[in-house]
Formats: sequence, structure tokens, C-alpha cells
Amino acid sequence: MSRKGLSAHWNEFFFAPRSPLPIALFRILYGALVCATVLLLRRDWLVWYGPYGLISPETMSQMEPGVRINIFHLLPSGDAWIEAVFWVLLGSAICLCAGFLTRISSVVVFVCLTSLNERNLIITHSGDTFLRVTGFFLMFAPAGACLSVDHLIRVRARKEGRVPKPRAPWAQRMIQFELSLLYFTAAYSKALGEPWLSGAALYYIYHLEDLRRFPLPQWFYNPTVLALGGWGAMILEFTLGTLIWIRAIRYYILAAGLMLHLVLEYSLNIPLFQWEVLSAYVLFIDPRDLMRVMARARLLVKERLFRSPRTTHSRLPAMRSRGPSRKTSNHP
Amino acid sequence: MTPMPRAVNKRGPNVRGSTPPRWRRLAINVFIVAHIFIVSCWAIPISSSWRLAVRNFVTPYMRWTGLFQAWDMFSPVPKNANSYVEAIIHYQDGNTRTWAFPRMSHLDVWERYSKERYRKYGDLLEVTPALWPDAALFAARQNNNRAVPIKTVFLVRYCAPIALQGEVAQRSESCDDDVLYSRPIHAGDLK
Repeated sequence: MSRKGLSAHWNEFFFAPRSPLPIALFRILYGALVCATVLLLRRDWLVWYGPYGLISPETMSQMEPGVRINIFHLLPSGDAWIEAVFWVLLGSAICLCAGFLTRISSVVVFVCLTSLNERNLIITHSGDTFLRVTGFFLMFAPAGACLSVDHLIRVRARKEGRVPKPRAPWAQRMIQFELSLLYFTAAYSKALGEPWLSGAALYYIYHLEDLRRFPLPQWFYNPTVLALGGWGAMILEFTLGTLIWIRAIRYYILAAGLMLHLVLEYSLNIPLFQWEVLSAYVLFIDPRDLMRVMARARLLVKERLFRSPRTTHSRLPAMRSRGPSRKTSNHP
Repeated sequence: MTPMPRAVNKRGPNVRGSTPPRWRRLAINVFIVAHIFIVSCWAIPISSSWRLAVRNFVTPYMRWTGLFQAWDMFSPVPKNANSYVEAIIHYQDGNTRTWAFPRMSHLDVWERYSKERYRKYGDLLEVTPALWPDAALFAARQNNNRAVPIKTVFLVRYCAPIALQGEVAQRSESCDDDVLYSRPIHAGDLK
């Protein structure tokens, strides 16, 4: 490929305007997952982040030195300030979810989330890391361009049409890159470990008592099944990290990834990690397909929630053939 | 009376797509290339000297921005033992009390989900001596509810290796029941 061709492809990939629907949907899921994360931490908030908790600020600073984003360093000591961080983070995550003051909310969420991670890196798992690094790129994305209060305000002020204008997707691409990197690195790291190559790794993992979640059938613990599962997971992670970029087979790969994460969510007690990773899958879905799914979901919701005859008749012509709703309709 | 039309943006609703101006696009390109390169060098555990050099060079930036990341989930070698840490509190009158961090296998499904951070913490507590003084102090604070003051806190690790089918579990130095740490407690410590 010539340099010009490469440059054109690069520009097309990162800058050709595209629908902001996927990134807006990701923003909603992201905000909801941040809310869930902080709510799960709520009961032990001061244990993890308080001055008299399990890890003092001094110990953390000694273990992880360097200049870092950590608002806890700037706050006066005292439980009330630690509690305030919880409410600020929760509030800004709700705003981000709703798409209200989206840019500011995304910055506040990122700063607070990073501060939590830095204050106690010991309890940070891969899901937190994924939220943090995707949160960094989300700050640059047009995440409030649609499905947001911000967009509604702009439409009412006639600064923008109802249909959101396409935007350069470079920040969305960076989040996609992070997801791809996560899978590729996970597969690569596993390939470096003898237990993964010999097939023993999953045997160990599924015999860790503290990781168990819901009960599994006895055949699942068979060493051969677990060995096949481990190798399959490695291959699938490698596939998700590389072939996900090929449009023709993308949906099959995403479906396989979804199955993998659902099995892990059922069987292993790793809170929210699977959902955090899955949330980024929407960035790989064609906006037209997303709109189709959303339209269908909207119809279903309307059908379920607003079963008034008028709605059934005038808004859902496709449902006319269904006897009961037509019969009960007052309109001819 | 007809309502007054609302003010409309002079350019009208912009439905055309927008791309950044040339200078901004250049800056974004530099940002993209730099981040793809440094994040890859940081995350992918290739053992090469140039990667380590890049990693060392960008460490302050990665720490500062919060972009540091590792995706080595259960790899390269997953944990192969069931273990946990308990605190044994000795009081001045000779009595003792055992205090355990929440253990996932003793909790119901919902509690396990919300308390999972204790599992992560416990795994690292076993192998990170820097955490032991704070953990002992925390256990002392949790148990400072008797008239008799606390004399010493011990952190004890219990470990049972997982044996592969057909093999016999073998204890090793890294998986043995052991006193990790002891700390005398003074009145001033529990303020």
C-alpha cells in the first residue's frame, strides 16, 4: 500500500465522521457501571479509603511513589471529605449516564475514579483498570452528542437538529484499541505460563474456594474439560484481540466473547468485570444495527408499558394483525 | 396571535458531519500514535531491552495520567492454593481473640459479590510485608472493645495447596501455615 493510500485509510479510520450513537450508548453503560462500582464499595468505603482503614495513605504512597492524579492528597484529613468523594463521584456518574454536562461529568468521573484507584491500588482489579483507561479516552469523545440531556437542550435551543451530526470517531477508536489490547495481552500473558499451556490453569482457578460463585455441574470440574476450556479461552482471547477488527466476522467473534463472559460471570466471583468489558462491545456494533435494535426495543417497551388502544392503533401498525389489541381499539 | 419564532442558529441545524481542522488533526494524530505506542509497550509483556527502556521512559507519564495497565488476568501462573489470613489479638490479661477478614467462601452470594475486594486484598496481604503493620493496626482497632487493653496482634496465614487430580498436595515454603507478622500495640496507636 502506498503512503498516500495508508494516509487515506488512517484518516478514514480515525477522522471520517460517523454516527456518535455507539459512543453515546457506551457512555450510558459506562456511567451505570461506575455507579454500580461505587455502590458496591459503599459499605466498606472508609475501610478502603479512610485514614484509619486497612491501608493508610502513607503506606500507599510508599508502595506506589510518583506524581499521580489523587484528590485525596489535596483534601483535608477526615472521614467527611472521604465521604464527599463518594457523593461527588456518584453524582457525576449519574450525570454522565444521563448525558448532562457530559464533558465536565466525564472529567470529574475520571479524576475521582483514578483517585480511588491511586488511593488503594491493592484492591484494584482489571475491571477498575478498564474503567480508568477507557474513562481517559471518553473525556475526549463526543459522548454527549446523542441520547443525552445535552443533546435535548441543544435541539430545543435549535443549535442542532434532532438527528445528531456525525463526528470524528478517533476517541472511540482508542477505546476500541484498549479492548483489543486487553484481549491480546491476556492471551499473550497466558501463553507465557506453563499451567496454561499444560491445561492445568483452569483446574487451579476453579478450585479456589474464594472465587466460586454459583454452583456448577460436576462434569465441569473434569480436568479434561477444564484443560479444553483453558485452551479455548486463550484462543478466543487472541481472536478477540486481533480478528475483531475484521468487519465480516466481527459479530460472530463478539457473540463468542459474550458467551465467554457470561460463563465467567456465572461461575467466578469477579464483580462487574465481565460487564465492564462487555460494555465496550457496543463500540464495535454498526450504528445502523444499533438503531434497528433500539427501534425494536422501543416498540417492545411501548407495547408492554403503554397498551392504550390509541397507541396500539396509531403507533404500531405492524401489530395490527394481533387480534386483541385491534378488537379493543376505539378507533376504526 | 401567532407565537414568535424561536431564535435559530444563523447557520441552521448542522446535520453535516464534522472533522477537526488541519492543525487540530495533526495534534490528534501525534496523540494517537504516541498513545498506541506507549500503551502497547507498557501492557504487552514482551521481554526485550528496548521495550523496558520505553517503559521506564514513559513510567512517570503513565502514572500521572492513570493510563498504567496490566491485563495479566490469572496469568502467567494462577494462584494454586486456598489461603487466608487471620489476626490473633492478645490482650494484657492473657486472653486471646481470633479475628478474620471476610472470607468469600463463608458469605452468601450477594455478600460475596459486594465484599470481593477483601479477597483481592487478602491475596496481596499474604505476600506484601508493607501491608502488615496497617492490617495489624486495623485488626486492633476492630477489637479494642474490651476494658482490657490489647497487648499484641499477630497476623497468621493458613494455606492449603490445590493438588491436580492424581497428585498429592505438597506443602512448600510459599504455602505453609505461618505467623506473618506481630505488632505490639500501645495506647497511642489506637487513637
